[in-house]
Amino acid sequence: MSSGCSIRAIWILNNLDAVVFSRRFPVVEKRWRAFCNTDNEIEQLFSSLPSDSDLSDAFLHRRHREGSARGFGIRKSNSSLGSDSWVDDPITRHIIGLYINKEMEDDKNLLWPLILHIKGYYSILVLPLVEPRHVKAYARLCKRPDCGSSLGLDDSLSSLLLDLPAITGAFMIAHAIGDIITGDTVEPEVIINAAPSVGGLFDSLTGSIGISSRAKPVAPQSASSSPLGTTGPGSATADTPKMGSRPLDKDALRTFISSSMPFGTPLDLNYSNIFSIKVNGFSALDLPPTDQKQPAWKPYLFKGKQRMLFTTHETVHAALYDRDEIPDIISVSGQINCRADLEGLPDVSFPLTGLNIANLEVSSYHPCAQVSDQGPDKQGVVFSPPLGNFVLMRYQATCALGPPVKGFYQLSMVSEDKGAFLFKLCLMEGYKAPLTMEFCTVTMPFPRRRVISLDGIPSLGTVSTSEHSVEWKIVTGGRGLTGKSIEVTFPGTVKFAPWKNQMARSAFGTIVDEDSDNEAENASSMVNEEHFMEKMNKDLPPVDLEEPFCWQAYNYAKVSFKIVGASVSGISIDPKSVSIYPAVKAPVEFSAQVTSGDYILWNTLGKCPHVATV
Amino acid sequence: MTAQPPSKPHEWETLIENFQSGTGIEKWNSLEPPLSDLLLSSLLRKDFPLQLKLQLLIFLDEFSTSFFPHNHLNRLIESLKIVLQSPLEASVYFTPLFKEHFMISVTSVVVCFSEEENVETVTENLVELLLTVINRPNFGSDRHTRAIACECLRELERSKPCLLSDVVGHLWSLCQNERTHASQSYILLFTTVIHNIVHNKLSVSILNTSHPMLPFNTPQCVNRDDFGSDSGLNTKELRRALAFLLEWPQVLTPCGMMEFVSMVIPVVVALELQPSMLRVQLFGMIHSYDPLLCHVVLTMFLRFIDAFDGQGEVSNRLLLISRESHHYLVFRLLAIHWLLGFNQLVFNKQQSSYIEKKSEHGNEACSILYPSLFDPLALKALKLDLLASGSVLRLKSDSNSSSHDDDDGWIDPVKVFEQGLLSVSSFKWLPPASTEIAIAFRTFHKFLIAGSSHSDSDPSTTRNLLDSMIFRTLQVMLVNMMLESRKLVPVVAAFVDRLLSCKKHSWLGERLLQKFDEHLLPKVKMDYKLVYCFPIFDRIAENQTIPPSGLLELLTNFMIFLVEKHGPDTVMKSWSQGSRALGICRTMLVHHHSSRLFLRLSRLLSFTCLHFPDLEVRDNSRTYLRMLVCIPGKKLREILSLGGTLLGISPSSHQTSFFNVQSPRPSQRFKTFKNLTSCIHFERVTPLLVKQFWSLSLSSLVVSNSKPDYLEGIRDLEQWDRLFW
Repeated sequence: MSSGCSIRAIWILNNLDAVVFSRRFPVVEKRWRAFCNTDNEIEQLFSSLPSDSDLSDAFLHRRHREGSARGFGIRKSNSSLGSDSWVDDPITRHIIGLYINKEMEDDKNLLWPLILHIKGYYSILVLPLVEPRHVKAYARLCKRPDCGSSLGLDDSLSSLLLDLPAITGAFMIAHAIGDIITGDTVEPEVIINAAPSVGGLFDSLTGSIGISSRAKPVAPQSASSSPLGTTGPGSATADTPKMGSRPLDKDALRTFISSSMPFGTPLDLNYSNIFSIKVNGFSALDLPPTDQKQPAWKPYLFKGKQRMLFTTHETVHAALYDRDEIPDIISVSGQINCRADLEGLPDVSFPLTGLNIANLEVSSYHPCAQVSDQGPDKQGVVFSPPLGNFVLMRYQATCALGPPVKGFYQLSMVSEDKGAFLFKLCLMEGYKAPLTMEFCTVTMPFPRRRVISLDGIPSLGTVSTSEHSVEWKIVTGGRGLTGKSIEVTFPGTVKFAPWKNQMARSAFGTIVDEDSDNEAENASSMVNEEHFMEKMNKDLPPVDLEEPFCWQAYNYAKVSFKIVGASVSGISIDPKSVSIYPAVKAPVEFSAQVTSGDYILWNTLGKCPHVATV
Repeated sequence: MTAQPPSKPHEWETLIENFQSGTGIEKWNSLEPPLSDLLLSSLLRKDFPLQLKLQLLIFLDEFSTSFFPHNHLNRLIESLKIVLQSPLEASVYFTPLFKEHFMISVTSVVVCFSEEENVETVTENLVELLLTVINRPNFGSDRHTRAIACECLRELERSKPCLLSDVVGHLWSLCQNERTHASQSYILLFTTVIHNIVHNKLSVSILNTSHPMLPFNTPQCVNRDDFGSDSGLNTKELRRALAFLLEWPQVLTPCGMMEFVSMVIPVVVALELQPSMLRVQLFGMIHSYDPLLCHVVLTMFLRFIDAFDGQGEVSNRLLLISRESHHYLVFRLLAIHWLLGFNQLVFNKQQSSYIEKKSEHGNEACSILYPSLFDPLALKALKLDLLASGSVLRLKSDSNSSSHDDDDGWIDPVKVFEQGLLSVSSFKWLPPASTEIAIAFRTFHKFLIAGSSHSDSDPSTTRNLLDSMIFRTLQVMLVNMMLESRKLVPVVAAFVDRLLSCKKHSWLGERLLQKFDEHLLPKVKMDYKLVYCFPIFDRIAENQTIPPSGLLELLTNFMIFLVEKHGPDTVMKSWSQGSRALGICRTMLVHHHSSRLFLRLSRLLSFTCLHFPDLEVRDNSRTYLRMLVCIPGKKLREILSLGGTLLGISPSSHQTSFFNVQSPRPSQRFKTFKNLTSCIHFERVTPLLVKQFWSLSLSSLVVSNSKPDYLEGIRDLEQWDRLFW
């Protein structure tokens, strides 16, 4: 039964690499030992589980060897044979191997695969059960003395990962645990018009059973189950904790782990369900459906006033270049959140329209949904809704309405410490009511310069500066922008504190310029802008593999906005065409909300990252 | 040392921590009364806080084998019975959660001790207790407890296959009846029993319920010697059971589904059923956004790859998953890995269909393969791998199939390479340590060695790779890169080193160096920045397949340049760069036959010792010249490589001498090092700065055993020091 998923052990380490929580599953460990006993070359493997302190030592050792908790992920000149980065694959930042008891013979002590998930200040390590042959295959990969595997021909990590659903399962577990540690277990947001957003499963329960035990989800939180909302451009690197410190709720963790995977084999990772079963239990009055089986993912049935709510949340990503040779890139990643307060176990179906205009690229559904009769511009969706708020569908599409903010941003360094800039933007061009732009802000980040002063007045809105950025609020909270488009300009100059070469204090200062004596000519005052940028770029620290590119190497402005009223992709649900079987009368509401993701205006006069657009 | 028995919560916590960290366990094992008794009585105490009890249960689960005596297992079962059968009013302290965790821990302990003697009766008692719990389907309040009891039974069945085979008929009927959310656990329990029956080829009737469920006895077959060799599977009934099970996948959670499919697949295979019945039920899950379900479909697909078509659909879907920015990065990376693994598998099995699929999509497919702008770099790297693997498969299919008619469907690999690389194009100007550069060079490597595996049996020839357009493109690209940004030279050198160090691909590195010799040397600009190229020059100098003439000419010109540009501002520069250039000459002396170097090198050295403004450089070149002229080639190489080893061992006191630029060499045998004295002896005849004059005397170069001690070596070292200052 190797294709299932079972967990041998879970460890949680704090930012000092000390184990603060651990859980072992002896029944799974017994199976691992059975595997080992049938394997002839057992002596090559680390065949038992390490104690917490041994694991923490090994983790620390790996951090020293690989530069960070995650490691290089790519074979570098300082990668050592047998280490994860020797495998030369970025996924080894997430699936790691540890050598336990380094002082012992090193062939015997490889513990693999450990799933590493870093959340807040904590590193979560999950060790799924694989067969000894898999561990040996990985050991061969990280100890091969040659120049690195040839794709599709040598033994590869890919076929190993394809062969091991246990690793995928372990990631799901690690993420679920991570969410519990940071209290990030908010359900997806569903908005009803003219009222604040609706709570999750608990509110359904409290509505019906009369128990109140949990706060409502945090109000406007865009697509809470999506990892996208948490990372902005130039944001802290993945190894750096983003959350504040929060004491580990060990009781909650223990209960979650024992309930979700009593014997190390996960059965359900839905925190809301597990939590509500723990708190509410069941009473003899909760009758099961008479003729159907109640799904395991819906432990409670709704009772009360019936209604259905749909909300599309779209995030617009854009790279606007304003150049002939590079086309602009605009994409929308969206999701339809749903809440079905319906009694019993009904089926809901509706046609999804606007697919053609949206140029729907990818669509993925909640496990409860099925897609039927796919047409060119229509897609039938049938689903049996779970309780509470859930993400019915996720999609990638194009922005049918065109970019909500377009125009250009130019920044030219007139001297080393002074830049002249110009914005010319058009907002909501071609956008008709009810589309309303609630706010729109443009930020010019200068993470490596200190802003001293700013000259210039925009044609609309207010400007403020902080130490490392300039912020221009074009549309603010009070008055939204509806039914018309506006053009705005903002010419100005920004003055910076003198540039100091940060080589000396840079954390990556190890790259010593051994030929500094040859650079004498560079020291002469450099007025040429390009040379200056080159000088600035010389000590750019390498970015993490989780970033799309080295943000700091470019000048850009980031636009943030929120639009409500309709989707910008064109995808929509007609409330009238939603049908419920068995038929009940339930009002259906549909709402939409659009926010900006990485919405970047690249400096037209500088370097910009781009990709092939065949 | 004996500790006080723990009673307060924090004392228990200390105990648990001791066990977890593996320190100080002994003291707890010598408690009186024993720890196991203490634990059991604490669990049943009404005044103990629930959270602590739950913690103790987990402790029992995790560490039973280290402290629980297996002959006390009966007490454990008795305690469980007390808890499970406690009256309703006791539910304040024996909450459902507590009962469930108690069942889990006891089951876990029993499973862990299942190899011990006399555990069979204990197991029977436990099974009986659990069967009592699950034997009331649809009862309202204890539905979750029943679900957990099913899981406990499943774990027991898993550890002792076919344990429940006699009651399978009852399990089926319970499974049919249960309609609450606990039905998943009933379904999984029934599936596990069916799986084990099929796996062990047991001929039991699964419809038969004539055998009573309670009291429970271990089936006789389990203990039979020939267990597992029965061949009379009751196929008809099993098929019915499977048909029943396949009706219910929609009630399972994704995790439950994974468990279910992993058990059902072997059953389908053993019963020789049509895999299409699985496909109909499960394939739709590939459109789910849950990574587990996608992997479940893949598992199924891979198992029946010969029976299923639609590989194109699967790989397309995987590609699309990797484009979904909603997913956590790691799942997008996994999707690409699955795709790489899947393609490799499909390609190996059914080459034709893969090609078919590729040509269907042509340009369009390729465009979605390219990295997107906001893809994290890790994803970009893997997408570039995907592009490279595409070109591998193309190479392979080209060499295997005679027809090239489908050329329209294929994209030119060079174009793919160049277009793909755009996504990290900033590698050309970012600092050498940047991540973009690391990814770009990783991609170079993947494209370059694509189609040539490391296995000895790989028939791919040198010729194939060298003729490949990728090699040519890359070589031109690297040359231009070094010309445009000399900071990248060390990175290129490291890249060449990586190839050179590989047994199978060292010739590729060699060929690159040859190309650099041909194309880079004539184009480099003669200025002070030339030293940036020295790491590559060093590699060229080391390589015997490259005629040294080009490099020597360049170095001669460089020396001329240094002499001409010499002035008051460039004193240090002339010295440091001249020394480094001499370092390369030295490398050549070590690696080439003197005859090959003689003419040009002696010209270079004599020019240097005559005209170079810096004294040390003049001195050194004079020494080298003398050595070149006077010492026979083989011995010269021995002496010089000895010098390299010497300096490799001792941290050089010459802070900036040219030896610092020497690439580290594999250390040689210490024996040769000791024999240095027998080879050569230098002595300064006249004080420095007055005249530059050296006397060089060579002994007979016979290994002398008279002074082989290490101290001798040290003394010589000091002499070397003197020599160079």
